[in-house]
Amino acid sequence: MSRKPYHREMSKTTWFLKQSRYQHYMLHEISSIFVAIYVGVLIVGLFRLAQGPDAWAGWLAAVTSPIGVIFHIIVFIFAIIHTTSWFKAVPQAMRIQRGEEIVPGKLIIGAHYGVWAAVSVVVLLVAGVA
Amino acid sequence: MSQRTMELEVMRYRPEMDDKPFFQTYSVPCEEEWVVLDALNYVKDEMDRTLSYRWSCHMFVCGSCGMVINGEPKLACKAFLRDYDGKIRIEPLHNFPIERDLVIVQDDFIEKLESVKPYIIPKQEKPLSEGEYLQTPAQLKAYKQYSMCMNCLLCYSACPQYGLEEKFVGPAALALAHRYNMDSRDVGRSAREHVVASHDGIWACSFVGACSQVCPKDVDPAGAIQQVKFSSAVDYLTSFLPGGKR
Repeated sequence: MSRKPYHREMSKTTWFLKQSRYQHYMLHEISSIFVAIYVGVLIVGLFRLAQGPDAWAGWLAAVTSPIGVIFHIIVFIFAIIHTTSWFKAVPQAMRIQRGEEIVPGKLIIGAHYGVWAAVSVVVLLVAGVA
Repeated sequence: MSQRTMELEVMRYRPEMDDKPFFQTYSVPCEEEWVVLDALNYVKDEMDRTLSYRWSCHMFVCGSCGMVINGEPKLACKAFLRDYDGKIRIEPLHNFPIERDLVIVQDDFIEKLESVKPYIIPKQEKPLSEGEYLQTPAQLKAYKQYSMCMNCLLCYSACPQYGLEEKFVGPAALALAHRYNMDSRDVGRSAREHVVASHDGIWACSFVGACSQVCPKDVDPAGAIQQVKFSSAVDYLTSFLPGGKR
């Protein structure tokens, strides 16, 4: 008897709406766009700083305006999503074996949060905030 | 033992008479301790002999009875009916052509599995008389997790990357390549590299991670793939150093 396998196609545009785990994946992928945009804003800031006090003051006024603050809050939320979702995945990519034992994932994730907190404190100290 | 009637909505596809799959509902009197496979076996034995599905061990060893149960890729022998309300929707594994009813065509996976040379390639073959290849518990630990794969294909069913791009070598085959690469008795890494570290190999994985979430043996194929990406990237960068192979 001849075979007649049936092929089901996955939608190229809506596949990620089908399952919550795909939606989480998309959320953490999309969060990288906001992180990239913010890197762009910071680079523009550097250029404005190099251009002189007036240019720098203009950039500073833009990022501290009401729209600038709202933009920061949105980017901050996505940066948190980006960081925490990647930290969660780190033990999978970073499998550390000590003798016959694998270093527990919680320890690796905890170390990442520890370094994150330490770097944040240093940045705040340098910025004169804390 | 208590009984309750479960509605099984089973995807049917009979290539000799159907143009496309459809759902057929069976009302099955189920015992409390049954798994989905027991309910399917009841249908096959008592209600409809034409229903086709794969199974063998009924004890979570062979990996034959993978199917999509209420949208989630699962082994039918490990899906207890007590965890479901009265209705269960059963489909063949996603991302594979349907041969008949719940039976999928596995040829693509088998070819990919072969392509990663899933066996030990020793540095030098030695005769049996010289005894076994010795290995410490730590050396065993390095790959044991990945050796638990039983080719049930739940990971391929969960992987959107495989669903969108059929050329992707896929989670289980890449995890098994990693299993042999991590084995102290094996020197076949470079022989597997042209498949594993290729565009359609590890680099086609975007780390959705669904494969690891559905894996019934906690193999963590997504983790294996990310680790190979790291070592492959190190290979690439060190190739620029003096004496590096390009």
